Amino acid sequence: MSNILEVKNIHSFINQFHILQDVDFVVPEGSITALLGRNGAGKTTTLKSILGLASVREGKVIFEGREVQGMPPFEIAALGIGFVPEHRAIFRDLSVEENLKIAERNKGDLDRKRTFIFDLFPDLKKFLNLRGTDLSGGQQQMLAIARALVADNSLLLIDEPSEGLAPVIIEHMIDAIRQLSEQSTVVLVEQNFLVASKLAKYFVIIEEGKSVASGLMKDLEADKAMIHRYLGAA
Amino acid sequence: MKTNLRKNSKAIIILVIIAAFLFVAARGMSGRDVLITVLRGFSTGSVTFLVAAGFSLIFGLLDVLNLAQGTLYMIGAYVGWTVYVRPDTFIDVLTPVLLILAGFSLSALWGRLASRIQLAPKARKIISWLLILAGLGLLALVLTRYPIAIWNLNNYSESPITYSYMADQGLRIIPAEVTFEKISPFLAIAGLLVSSAISAFGIALLNRNESRSQTINWRKFLVPALLLLGGILAAVFNAQITSWMFAMSTNWLFVIAILIAILSGVGLGALMETTLIRPLYSRPIYQLMLTLGLGTIGLQIVQAVWGRPEFVWPKPEFFTGTGGACPATNLADLLENNCSTVFLLGGRVRVYDEIFIPIVGIIVLIVVWILLKRSRIGMIIRAGVQDRQMVEALGINVRRVFTLVFALGVGLATFGGALAAPSTGLTPVMGERLLLSALIALAIGGLTSFPGAALGSLLVGLIQQFMIKYGQIGIPLPFTDVVFKPSPPLVPASTVLLMVIVLLILPGGLLGSKE
Ligand SMILES: Nc1ncnc2c1ncn2[C@@H]1O[C@H](COP(=O)(O)OP(=O)(O)O)[C@@H](O)[C@H]1O
Ligand SMILES: [Mg+2]
Repeated sequence: MSNILEVKNIHSFINQFHILQDVDFVVPEGSITALLGRNGAGKTTTLKSILGLASVREGKVIFEGREVQGMPPFEIAALGIGFVPEHRAIFRDLSVEENLKIAERNKGDLDRKRTFIFDLFPDLKKFLNLRGTDLSGGQQQMLAIARALVADNSLLLIDEPSEGLAPVIIEHMIDAIRQLSEQSTVVLVEQNFLVASKLAKYFVIIEEGKSVASGLMKDLEADKAMIHRYLGAA
Repeated sequence: MKTNLRKNSKAIIILVIIAAFLFVAARGMSGRDVLITVLRGFSTGSVTFLVAAGFSLIFGLLDVLNLAQGTLYMIGAYVGWTVYVRPDTFIDVLTPVLLILAGFSLSALWGRLASRIQLAPKARKIISWLLILAGLGLLALVLTRYPIAIWNLNNYSESPITYSYMADQGLRIIPAEVTFEKISPFLAIAGLLVSSAISAFGIALLNRNESRSQTINWRKFLVPALLLLGGILAAVFNAQITSWMFAMSTNWLFVIAILIAILSGVGLGALMETTLIRPLYSRPIYQLMLTLGLGTIGLQIVQAVWGRPEFVWPKPEFFTGTGGACPATNLADLLENNCSTVFLLGGRVRVYDEIFIPIVGIIVLIVVWILLKRSRIGMIIRAGVQDRQMVEALGINVRRVFTLVFALGVGLATFGGALAAPSTGLTPVMGERLLLSALIALAIGGLTSFPGAALGSLLVGLIQQFMIKYGQIGIPLPFTDVVFKPSPPLVPASTVLLMVIVLLILPGGLLGSKE
């Protein structure tokens, strides 16, 4: 099986701050890989480094066989990476429809994907004309994921999708992510270990800006000591 | 809707108070005076709005306070005037401008080549800058040998008053044709093209990383080729085009002048953003100093070329008719005789100043509004104002949108200058005054709100014109016999007063965000 993404010993900076100090992992194509680690470990920064939103000063990021570190973020994203950021980043001044429309990379993307997206999140259809701000947390999260699905992305980077959501909605979100992972590879950052273990096939643990462990999720689930050591209580 | 009303209740109360104030004040005036004053208010407001809207668009997306906006407004007026009154200068300048643009537009092609060149970062930087400087030096060398009337500065800066006066009388002075003497035409054309292409290569080398994934196809050659062709044609047929423009109907000449003024603003804006503003995005103070400095430099250049004294921009034929049924009392008469004034409520209203300018202001308002609300670019602008990183993460080249918005904002300012000049006349200080008005209008309306810019500009225009009118006829103070005549300095002071009152109650301005 080939790797759609390889992150090779990267060191990343946000402004002057040296935040990632040697993160190294691969993402096999066609599965879900979970990035785990405590708060402030550097998971979000890892996703930003892949997209070029944090500057990678050392190491390589290889997406579909191509070195992308140092390229401007919009060019990296246009290669086929969708981003669902922490806190959703829904555009407040845009309607739900426009929030989807803006993600088009080619004319007609949204129309082609409409059925797929609304099968996944039927609720969105009802809110199309509302403004981004008028949505609840769960609806915003659906919209943020849907936005990443509009263009043809072979890789999705999803940051803490379950954060601040009610348990029923988390269940719904899990189903949706599982469904969409049949179409694209997913890198999932998740604080909620239960959610991560239900979805992911592989895991990578990040600790203080370094990748410290990786492997199959089912091995990690069995290794209570490791979970305790890196992720605290589980 | 209800929540909207509640959210804006303070703004509505202030507006009602202003309206009541104007209404009470207007009771001392005849209906005719009120109408004219309101129309003039709309006119001043429209011009202020063009500058303010540009300022606000730029600030909203790029966080840049473009204090050069006033100077650019003035430049728009002078460029437009030059096309209108001195088409010979315009055509002379057109050739070098098009050639330089052709050279620089090659930079998109150079990107691919530049990314192939492997150099140590330091060496690359030094070589890039050497190339840029060498290119610019050569450019200046060739350019000063170009036959353009402006190069004879002393002579040129004396002449605008004479030319304006004669054009106003309907007599056009046709200046002697300037010819290539100091340099052969071929060398001049090739020299400009090559020197700007060298600079462009230096720039491409400097920004090597940005253009790695570019593909080259014939379309990339189209723009440079068209520019080159245009430049050469303008050089070859210089005399013919010039005399054709001198003979043209002033209505068409006016349209061309306005278009060129807008285009020059768009070009200047794009140039400013890509070369000077872009490296300073993380340093707001330097940016402020830069735009302020550019404003001053622009002012000096304009004074050197066109001189300090005030002169007029004669209005086009369409607005200067006096014979027959003028001043017109109905639309048919107006259109048939191209009347310069019409009778409204028994008063004479100037068509260009008090009717045409407000109409153009409203059209621009609507067009930009539609652009923001309905087009993809507008959507990206609205999203980018909130969260640039997310827009980039969607695969959108936000930088290009930045350049576009800056160019558009400056284009609005130069448009404003060219539109106002036939009414206000041209003087190098026209920009400072207007920048002040525009900033006050934005503070009143809300710095990043587009409707706020319109509302603030209108209020500033109305207050100014009412104060001017009171200065002429006096305002009877209520409950007394005193008639108060505000002196001219009170005109700008009154707008500042309004701003202070609004900001004390609503720190974000009338329609600004409440964060
Ligand atoms: N803009 C920033 N400036 C300075 N430090 C930052 C910035 N963003 C994140 N950090 C620091 O980088 C570290 C990693 O952050 P992050 O990647 O967001 O962690 P995680 O997503 O794993 O919770 C944290 O210690 C955080 O304080
Ligand atoms: Mg995080």
